Amino acid sequence: MMETKRKIKDLLANGSTYLSASISLIVLLAIILFVFINGSKTLSFKMLTSPYYETPYFAIVEANDEDFSSIEEKEGVYYSYKYGIGIKDSKDLEKKDAVEIVYIDEKSPFNSAKSVDGKTLKIKVGQQIKRIQVKGESGIKVATTSSKASGMIEVLDSGNYINEFYYVDMGGGIRGSLLATLMLVGLTLLIVIPIGVISAIYLSLYAKDNKFTSLLRSLIDMIGGIPSIIFGLISLIVFIPFVSKISSSNGASVLAGAFTLSIMLLPTVIRTTEERINAIPKTYKSASLALGASLTQTAFKVILPNALPGILTSIILCIGRIIGESAALIFAMGTAIQDNVGILQPATTLAVHIWSVMTDENPNFGLACAISIIILVIVLMLNILVKLVSLKFKKYEVKK
Amino acid sequence: MEKDNKLKRIEHKTLIDKMVKYAFLSICVFCSLCVVFIALFIFIKGITPFFKKYETSVGLKSVNFFKFIFGGTWFKSPNIYGAGYIVINTLIVVILSLLISVPLSVLTALFVVRIAPKKLSMILSIVIELLSGIPSIIYGLFGLGVLTKFVEGLGSIFGIQTAGGISLLATVLVLSIMILPTITTIAITSISSVNNSLILGSLALGASPTQTNFKVVLIGAKSGIFSGIILGIGRALGEATAITMVCGNSGSGISLNPFDITRTLTSTMLQGIHESSGMDYDIRFSIGLLLIVIIIVTNLSLNLIKNRIGNNDGNKKKNKRSAS
Repeated sequence: MMETKRKIKDLLANGSTYLSASISLIVLLAIILFVFINGSKTLSFKMLTSPYYETPYFAIVEANDEDFSSIEEKEGVYYSYKYGIGIKDSKDLEKKDAVEIVYIDEKSPFNSAKSVDGKTLKIKVGQQIKRIQVKGESGIKVATTSSKASGMIEVLDSGNYINEFYYVDMGGGIRGSLLATLMLVGLTLLIVIPIGVISAIYLSLYAKDNKFTSLLRSLIDMIGGIPSIIFGLISLIVFIPFVSKISSSNGASVLAGAFTLSIMLLPTVIRTTEERINAIPKTYKSASLALGASLTQTAFKVILPNALPGILTSIILCIGRIIGESAALIFAMGTAIQDNVGILQPATTLAVHIWSVMTDENPNFGLACAISIIILVIVLMLNILVKLVSLKFKKYEVKK
Repeated sequence: MEKDNKLKRIEHKTLIDKMVKYAFLSICVFCSLCVVFIALFIFIKGITPFFKKYETSVGLKSVNFFKFIFGGTWFKSPNIYGAGYIVINTLIVVILSLLISVPLSVLTALFVVRIAPKKLSMILSIVIELLSGIPSIIYGLFGLGVLTKFVEGLGSIFGIQTAGGISLLATVLVLSIMILPTITTIAITSISSVNNSLILGSLALGASPTQTNFKVVLIGAKSGIFSGIILGIGRALGEATAITMVCGNSGSGISLNPFDITRTLTSTMLQGIHESSGMDYDIRFSIGLLLIVIIIVTNLSLNLIKNRIGNNDGNKKKNKRSAS
C-alpha cells in the first residue's frame, strides 16, 4: 500500500518536470514558428535594400505613332499596344494590392516621359503605378490601383495623352534601419571597447588588491543591474544635450544612442576582458618583467595580445546586445523610421523598427516578423561564434 | 657614464609606467563613477516636478508628492499624476509572472540536470540558451501576435470582452516567458553543483530517486535558485518594450481582473515618448526614480532573506560537524 502510494507520488512529481521542460521547448518552437510563418512571405533581398517610404513621381506621357502589336506576350501580364508597356497585378512590400510595371518597349513613349516641370523622368521596370489620368476623345479617365492591371490598360488605351502618371519606387524596406544598426554597432564598439579594455587592464594588472579596487569593481558591476529604460532617461538628460552642444544636431541621434549603449555595455566588456586576462598564466607577466620590460610594455606587448580572445568575445556579446536593445534606443534615437541615416540624425535600429511598425495604428505583422527573422538569425550566428571563439582558444591552452 | 644612461632609462621607464598607471586609473574611475552619476541625474531630475512650477491649464502648478506616491489615477490632461496604483500594478504583474515561471523553471532545471537522458538534456540547455538570447522586442511581438489572441479566445469562452486580448493576463504571460530562461540558467548551475554525497546518502537511506530529487537536491540548491529568482525579478521590473506592447496602459485603479488592461512603471515611461518638455516630460523621470528605488529596495530585502537562508544552512552544517 505504502509502496504504490509512493510510486504514484513519484510518477506525478516526475511527470511535472517532464511537463515543465516540454513547456519551455514548446514556447521556443512557438516563437520561432510564429516569426517564420508570418515573416517568411515578406522577407526578401529586395526588402533589405529598399527604402521604407515610397518615393512618388508624377510624369506626363504622350503616345507616339509606333505600333507595338508585335510584343511577345507573357501570361498574367497586360499589355498596352498604344504605349508599348506591360503591367501586372502584384503586391507591394506591405502585401497590399499594387500594379507593377514589368515591361517597357525600347520605342515606348514611356522612355521619354517628362515630369510636370519639364524634366525627363526615367521610368523603370519594377516600379509601381498608383494612379493614371488619361485625356482622350471621351474626356478624362482615371484608373487607380483598385482597378487592377486590366482596368488600367483599358484606361491607358482610351486616349493618346497621359496628363498624370503617378508611380512610385517601392517602399516598405528596411535599408535605413539596417544602415543605422550597422552604424550604431560600429560607433558603440569604437567607444566602449577601448575604455572597457583599458579599465580591465588596470583592474587586473595595475590595481592593488585593496578596498578601493573592490569598490571600483562593485560600482562597475552595479551598472549591469540598471534596467535599460533608465539608460534611455539618461540619454535624454545627458547625451542628447551633449551631442547637440558639440554638433549641429538637435534632438535624438545615432551618436547619442552610441554613447548610451557604451555606458550600458561597459560592465560586459570589462568583465569578459578581465576574466580572460586573469586566465593568462602569471609566468608570462613575471617573465616579461624579468627580461627588463616595464609594466606598460608588458601590458601592451604581452597581456593585450593574449587577451584578444576575451576582447573578441566581448565584441560579439556587445553586438548581440546592441541589435536586441530597444527601450534605451527609443529615447536616445527616436522612433521615426528614416531612409537616409546620418550619425547626427535620429534613426531606428532593426529592433526599434519593429517597435515603430507595431505601435502604429495598423500594426504590420509581416514586416515586423521579417525583421525578427533577421534579428534571430544574427543572434543565433553570434551565439555560435562565441562558442567557436572559446573552442579555438581552448585548443591554444592544450598546446601550452 | 654608461651607468648614468642606464639609470636614466630606468627612471624614464618608471615615469612612463606611473603616467600610464594614473591614466588607466582615471579611465577606470570614470567607468565606475558612471553609476553614481546615473543615480544622481535621475534623482535630481526625478524630484524636480515636485518643486518646479509648471504652466498648466489651471495656472502655475507643481506635482504634489503625496498625491504622486499614493494616487490612483494617471491622466495627461488635466495633469493628474498618481503613481501609487502603477507601483501596485507593477508588483502584481511581477508576482503573478513569478508564480508561473518559478515552478516551471525550477522543474525544468531539475529535469535537465537530474532526469533527462544526456542528449535530451543537451538539447534542452541549448533551448534555454536560445530563449535567453531572444531580444525583448520579439517577445513583445510574440505576445501581441499569439498570446493576446489566446487571451481573447479564453475571454470569449468565459463570455468576457477583452480589448483585443491586451490585458493583465497577456502581460503576465509575456513576462513569465521572458524570465523563464534567466531563472532556469541559474537553477541549472546551482542544482548541478549540489554535493553528490548528499544525493548518495539519501538514496542509501531508501528514498526513491524522485524523492531524492525533490527533497534533497532542490533543498540543497535553494540558495542558488533564490539568487536566480532575484535576477528574474530584476529583469521583470525593468522590462519595458515587450510589456508596453501588451499591457494597454490603464488610466486608473488597481487591475486584479486578468482580462482587464493594466499599467506598469516602465510602460508609463514609454507612453509619453512624444513630449519634449513640460510637466508631462519631467514626470517620467520621477517614475524612473520610483523604479530605481523599488528595484533597490526589493534587491536589498531579497538578498537579506537569501542570506538568512544561507546562514541557516551554515548553522546546520556547523551543528552537524560539532555533533560528529
